[in-house]
Amino acid sequence: MNVQPVPTPSTATGPGRVLVAVYAVFALAATGRAGFQLVSNWHQAPLAYGLSALAAVIYIVATLALARGRHRLATVAVSIELVGVLVVGAFSLADPAAFPRATVWSAFGQGYGFVPLVLPVLGLLWLRRTKPPRTPTPDPAS
Amino acid sequence: MLTPLALIVVLLAALLAVWAAVFAVQDRAVVLRQLWGAAVVEGVLAVQAVVAIVVVLRGAEVAELATFWGYVACSLIILPLAAAWAFAERTRWSSVVLLVASLTIAFMQWRLLQVWGAQ
Repeated sequence: MNVQPVPTPSTATGPGRVLVAVYAVFALAATGRAGFQLVSNWHQAPLAYGLSALAAVIYIVATLALARGRHRLATVAVSIELVGVLVVGAFSLADPAAFPRATVWSAFGQGYGFVPLVLPVLGLLWLRRTKPPRTPTPDPAS
Repeated sequence: MLTPLALIVVLLAALLAVWAAVFAVQDRAVVLRQLWGAAVVEGVLAVQAVVAIVVVLRGAEVAELATFWGYVACSLIILPLAAAWAFAERTRWSSVVLLVASLTIAFMQWRLLQVWGAQ
């Protein structure tokens, strides 16, 4: 292969590959779970299942953005994910009645070995390390 | 029939995970011999998928059928993806990816048995 080494670290190579792999697994798991919940018994817990679907979308966006080196999009998606797991985690413990059915983010992702809590932190650290050194080109729209 | 196959997969995947972990610690990339190991696991997974189709067609009761097929299908794509990355990423991180993939396979087998037998 004649691929030249990339001067700036990409979000998708080296340790980034592990991150993309784990994100892909969670995108798959969350999508499967949310899809099944929405189709089978949406009415039982609209809030919890809606959040499951939201989590699935965010995992998919984060996976693709990390894999394709879309740095800013990845940062937004991973940040939303961190806020989501913290807020949903706190609410699911404080008011269990509001979350009669589990989501990926319930109890800070306890059902998934707290990986949903650790993942966005690692993701943000990784994004910080792979931050492009130069400021992005000016927005053509402005 | 499904349970012994799942146990074989878990055992093989665990061995592969340990092998990959050793490589990751030693700062080595995945080698071809490990991919043959992954191919063996993939082979058992394929046999398991065929057995699952036959058993369900014969009218076996599965607690959560949709989830069950989800796990069967997803199990099959994980190791080929990890193998593809082993070629693309010639650093220790390909070993870490193989480690994650192997652990995911083992975990999914456990979930597979759960959704198969859940009452």
